[in-house]
Amino acid sequence: MTAEEMGKVSKRLRATFAIASVAFVAVLAVSPVKDYFQEWKRHEKDYVRYAQTRPDTKHLLADFHSGIDQIWLPDMKVVDRCTTCHQGITQASLGDSSVPQPFRAHPVIPHPVKEWGCVVCHRGQGPATEVAEAHETTLAWEQPILPTKYIQASCGSCHRGDIPQTPQLNRGRQLLSELNCAGCHRMQEIQRPAMLGPDLSNVGNKVTREWIYKWLKEPHIVVDASGNTVVDGYQTEEEPRMPQFRLTDQEITALSAYLSSLKSHPFESYKFDPRVLASLEKRPDLAELGQERFRQMFCTTCHSLAVTRGDETKLIGGDIGPELTKVASKVNPDWLITWLRDPQSYLSHALMPRYQWSDEDLYKVTQYINEKLTDPDLLSNVPQLETPTPEDIQLGQRLFLEKGCGSCHVIEGVSPQKDFGPDLSSLGGKNVSQLEFGSAKFPRNIVSYIQAKITDPLSVNTAARMPQYRLTPADLDAITTALLSMTGNPSSSGLERLIVPRPRPGFRAAGAFGEVYERYKCYVCHRFNGYGGTLAPDLSFEGSRARRQWTIDFMKNPQTLRPTLIFRMPQFNMTDQEAATIADYLGMASQSQFVNVAGGNLKQFAPEMAAMGKQLYEVKYQCQACHTIGSSGGYVGPNLSNAGNWLNASWIEQWLKNPQALVPGAIEPRRTFTSEEIQALTAYVLTLKQSGQPKAAISGAAVTGGAK
Amino acid sequence: MNWRALILVFAISAMATLQACREKAAIATTNPLLKAYDVEQDANDPQRVIPLNYQQAQGKRVFNNTCVWCHAEATPAGPSNRSNVTPTPPLFTDGETLNPLTDEFLQNTITLGGSAMGKSTMMPPWGQTISEDEIRSVIAYIRAVAQPPYQPTARPASQYPVK
Repeated sequence: MTAEEMGKVSKRLRATFAIASVAFVAVLAVSPVKDYFQEWKRHEKDYVRYAQTRPDTKHLLADFHSGIDQIWLPDMKVVDRCTTCHQGITQASLGDSSVPQPFRAHPVIPHPVKEWGCVVCHRGQGPATEVAEAHETTLAWEQPILPTKYIQASCGSCHRGDIPQTPQLNRGRQLLSELNCAGCHRMQEIQRPAMLGPDLSNVGNKVTREWIYKWLKEPHIVVDASGNTVVDGYQTEEEPRMPQFRLTDQEITALSAYLSSLKSHPFESYKFDPRVLASLEKRPDLAELGQERFRQMFCTTCHSLAVTRGDETKLIGGDIGPELTKVASKVNPDWLITWLRDPQSYLSHALMPRYQWSDEDLYKVTQYINEKLTDPDLLSNVPQLETPTPEDIQLGQRLFLEKGCGSCHVIEGVSPQKDFGPDLSSLGGKNVSQLEFGSAKFPRNIVSYIQAKITDPLSVNTAARMPQYRLTPADLDAITTALLSMTGNPSSSGLERLIVPRPRPGFRAAGAFGEVYERYKCYVCHRFNGYGGTLAPDLSFEGSRARRQWTIDFMKNPQTLRPTLIFRMPQFNMTDQEAATIADYLGMASQSQFVNVAGGNLKQFAPEMAAMGKQLYEVKYQCQACHTIGSSGGYVGPNLSNAGNWLNASWIEQWLKNPQALVPGAIEPRRTFTSEEIQALTAYVLTLKQSGQPKAAISGAAVTGGAK
Repeated sequence: MNWRALILVFAISAMATLQACREKAAIATTNPLLKAYDVEQDANDPQRVIPLNYQQAQGKRVFNNTCVWCHAEATPAGPSNRSNVTPTPPLFTDGETLNPLTDEFLQNTITLGGSAMGKSTMMPPWGQTISEDEIRSVIAYIRAVAQPPYQPTARPASQYPVK
């Protein structure tokens, strides 16, 4: 190659090199340009421009930082850059809904946004700096923002115990435990109870094969007289605990054969006193007498009955025990008597108290139930079922285990499959790619996934064994929230320190009181030392409040004290001995540190003090707005007509000083009485006495079925 | 030789545009109720559902524990205590009565009681029973559910810059 030729080549090469260099510089330049046009920089500029239109520009701009803003919570493994764009989030003056996003201020919450950032509650991708990546599911960033409707789930991933600020989460957790979800699924913080559904070892003695067939075919779904399908015979607000399983008629026939053959403990039918039978048997109003007794005993505090008033049929009564409108069409009459006399002999974990029955009462009430709480048409569409064949029984037993019945119901000698359903203890933190959607039609996000799984399990997986629950939209959202809160075990020991534990108190009394406490199941409704139900008043400090004789009288014949409580205490027909045991125990053990019952001297309350107290009560403080004395006054607080016999003087004094110190959460407002006023009001309340509550008034209050 | 240069230019431009071609997820338009901490059924219009934010939702909780007995038609126990109180207390949704009252007035009435503000003595003071923040949240709640709706009075901006 000559020099000239080389010159030619190099010229061409040089041209190529020049073009390549220019192109290379252009490619390099893309990077700073791209950086310049970043989404977050645009939002920062917009914010500065927006701040200039506000009256407090100077203040807003003083707090403005350009550049990526980051909150780092190493304990929670959270990196949060949201405040890069959400510049105004802590500016109180930008709280109005007319302020455009992303600049609007956050409403006031207990965890300051400046310290906690956003993703702790709202989820999403904290480190992302693009709108779509931070908020939505993209290929690489999988955690989308949690809709605020379910945000209480985030509270629940650290606050494992129920807190009053999160009603939806608490309701969801309550439903998960009530509906026995823990029977099949492992869940965070919701333990599998020892016994979930009723023990079926002896169910053949309780109900007929026809009833079991009906129950399995349409659990709680019964057609009423007009042909409308309603829940449990009547429209209820509560979801029945037994869900509907997808069973063929053949499977139901086999299961009913198997279950009706279970008769582990035969019982003898109870022999009534012949004198009682002779005096009652012929009475035409026997059912009415039984109904009256049923109401007087306040069975409806725990059990509900359908009541039709006008065109409306409503369930009235409590939900601690089962609904009883058609119970006589369900159970064997002999079983009913045995159950009423001693519920725990049939089902050791039954919550039903063991009442003291007289033969007369027992006969009247069972006759009422058998005659009135029945529906002859209930089993009319059940096919003719023959005596169970051994093949049917064998198939039924296999189905019992295959369908997962054994996860909730115990049968002696049958061991259920362990971990029947999938583990849900870390469901709430899963990415979309970890969920199995199959050919589902709904949007691919975790909320839709959870809700579809509950409302229609087959829409996700055609082989699902999960039964059909029918929840109201509010309950469905509550359960979704509770499941979303289960984000698994903390990923670091630092987070474990932040998790607020769930209290698990337990209180079992010992000795003579322990027996009475277990017999009448006091803890189902009342709370003792932080353990027990919330239907009735907390009795932890009852000994400081009530006098011994009053407690005994109340146990023998409970009266209406607090009109704001919906349900009344049942009449247990307690013996004097039992009532005294309760009064003595409460007097000894249920004492508040603030009240010195023995210390008071009643002589200090002179009549003129009581007169002054009456003035204070009626004129200065107008307590009658909430309390009733005699027949006038409000019914927010307890009726004070008999307060002189009921309350201890030192309790009244302490109560007036600070009600919430004695009963946390009491409605009565704490006020600033002077000590003279407290003395005078106490003196007045102690003069309020009633001699012997007339019995008729009590039964009169009972007639409306306990729900007043 | 030309085709080589062409390939080069094409490759470079392809690299440059590749970044811009990334698929961006569209931001879904969501139901406004999905953005609410809690919701409240309008007492007068069952079709209308009012979204509540965190503060308003806490106000609803405090209201239903403390105030509901005298300031609502229906209470958790069934009937209301309103008829036993004279003068009859306003309903919590009564915008005509409550909207003209300022937040400060309501805060003081709830904290100090009716008698301190020249109103009924039957309204007790709650200042020692529920916290200042809780009272503020109750006011936020009744503002949210007021019928006719509450319009905050536009306050003129301060003429002095806030430091």
